[in-house]
Amino acid sequence: MSQLQLEQVRKSFMNGEVEEEVLKGVNLTLNKGEVTALIGSSGSGKSTILSIAASLQPLSKGRIIFDHQNLVELKPEQIRKIRAQQYGFVFQQSHLVPFLTVEEQLSLMLDIAEVKGSKYDKQIEIKNVLEKVEMTHRQSAYPASLSGGEKQRIAVARAIIHRPKVLFADEPTASLDSKKSNDIMQLIQELTHSLEMMTLIVTHEEEMLEYTDRVVKMSDGEIITVN
Amino acid sequence: MILAWKEIKNNKAKFSIVGSIILLISLLTFIISGLANGLSQDNMSLIKNFPDGTFYMAEDSNNSYAQSRIDEKKQMQLLENGEYSFAFSLQMGNLKIDSNKQKNVSLMTYTDNKYYQNIDNGEIVLDHSLKKEGIKAGDQLSFRQSENSFEVAGFVDDARFNHSPVVLINQNDFNNLFRTQAFQIVFSPIFNKDIDGLNAYSNSEFLNTIPSYQAEQMTLNMIVWFLIIISGMLFAIFFYMMNVQKLGMYGILKALGIRTNTLYTMIWTQMGIITVSALISSALLSQVFQSIAPTSMPYSLPLTSTIQLSILFIVVGFMGATLSGIQIKRIDPLQAIQQGEA
Ligand SMILES: Nc1ncnc2c1ncn2[C@@H]1O[C@H](COP(=O)(O)OP(=O)(O)OP(=O)(O)O)[C@@H](O)[C@H]1O
Ligand SMILES: [Mg+2]
Repeated sequence: MSQLQLEQVRKSFMNGEVEEEVLKGVNLTLNKGEVTALIGSSGSGKSTILSIAASLQPLSKGRIIFDHQNLVELKPEQIRKIRAQQYGFVFQQSHLVPFLTVEEQLSLMLDIAEVKGSKYDKQIEIKNVLEKVEMTHRQSAYPASLSGGEKQRIAVARAIIHRPKVLFADEPTASLDSKKSNDIMQLIQELTHSLEMMTLIVTHEEEMLEYTDRVVKMSDGEIITVN
Repeated sequence: MILAWKEIKNNKAKFSIVGSIILLISLLTFIISGLANGLSQDNMSLIKNFPDGTFYMAEDSNNSYAQSRIDEKKQMQLLENGEYSFAFSLQMGNLKIDSNKQKNVSLMTYTDNKYYQNIDNGEIVLDHSLKKEGIKAGDQLSFRQSENSFEVAGFVDDARFNHSPVVLINQNDFNNLFRTQAFQIVFSPIFNKDIDGLNAYSNSEFLNTIPSYQAEQMTLNMIVWFLIIISGMLFAIFFYMMNVQKLGMYGILKALGIRTNTLYTMIWTQMGIITVSALISSALLSQVFQSIAPTSMPYSLPLTSTIQLSILFIVVGFMGATLSGIQIKRIDPLQAIQQGEA
């Protein structure tokens, strides 16, 4: 069974003259078809874990095992390829490309992930994904004309169009009202189950935990409870 | 590439401003370079139309053809090479057009050779520009320098020296007019044969010994280079400013796993689209300028110069765009993610 595993991950930042340890030996396993929620007070190190797990920043000590490889030992170009092809990202803001239509955002992601296939196949794939996020009617719209919730749906569509194995989301609902937040969380959970992704979500909001399968709580750079 | 093109399409105003500035600068460059070329033709077409070869002047001439006196023995030695080598001299004179009008001309005489026709005693051959003064073959003309009159035997094309029309004249007549014997210059189509007591010059080296020519061309060429460098800097600055606005977007795309090369390709493509369309427009406009410029204005821009300058612009634009793109390599995706929506 494929997994993403963090083993004894440590991270320190230089804070002026003093070295500050932000992660103090974190062990975390993501499982296929499961939404893992990462909660904890502000500054406890949630975003830092997520970005290290996604190889967006280096760690100070430890290992990241993915597909039987220790990612820490890979070259930047290999890491980039893994991020492009195996990972999907949803950020706090949608961060869509302002001058591309909804359709083109998705087509760009297929190019970045170097997905093979005819133009026609890709067109079908884009249609499928837009149906999944219920945005078919806005396929030719530019981001500026979409509402916050709609933008985030497109961001989710972009994160899954290339069928990644892992989905990373750092507070994906922070800029949405609670009705829309629920919708997005539900969407992510459904997609995680149907596409069998390993999903890691950082969240602040208690009520979002309803849409997660496992909760990991952090405090001061350490995992304190898992349930 | 779709990214490059879509961004231009969605930001027409921004890109057309950059494009029109490149257009104006390249148009100015084309026009000035057309003027430089036109002036150099007007000034020196006689020498510019020489075949490639070597010009010899006396070592003690201070690199000035007017002060050069070629030793007769050395001249013989050089002319042994055959009918394609010849000695020649140039002097300024004043051609009387009619009783109260004179025209500055350059008189040229030479030994027998394959390039220039032989002129008989008492005859002259004129640059065709003098036709505009109403001079016809068969006319009798004289110079301020002497009372003798000469019959116009014919005309030649593009023979100008020191911004004045050239008059070809027989050696005896020339010697009588200017009271000299020795020739000033020997031309030989053979390259770089060193002769004791003579200095050898290539065609362009010889042109640059003529002070008026050198000053004129240097000034104009300097302006042309200046404009090209400025346009390169403008490219770098414009693309830098546009990139700065887009660093957030680039960072997000890098987090998603885009290749840095893809981003560079995007910038290069945009640079290419803007520059090529600006250059095509300004090349066309410079042709329009050529057709509406007053005839008294020496202007000539051959296609090859237009193409050479255009390639230079593209190379310089490419460097400018690449320079501005160095920051892309250093973008930290994490920073972009944490910043607000661009
Ligand atoms: N680049 C950095 N340089 C120095 N310190 C950093 C850096 N990034 C994070 N930190 C520190 O690491 C700690 C954990 O930060 P992190 O962003 O992971 O917290 P978080 O749990 O995501 O908080 P929040 O809920 O507010 O987003 C904080 O004390 C923060 O100041
Ligand atoms: Mg955070």
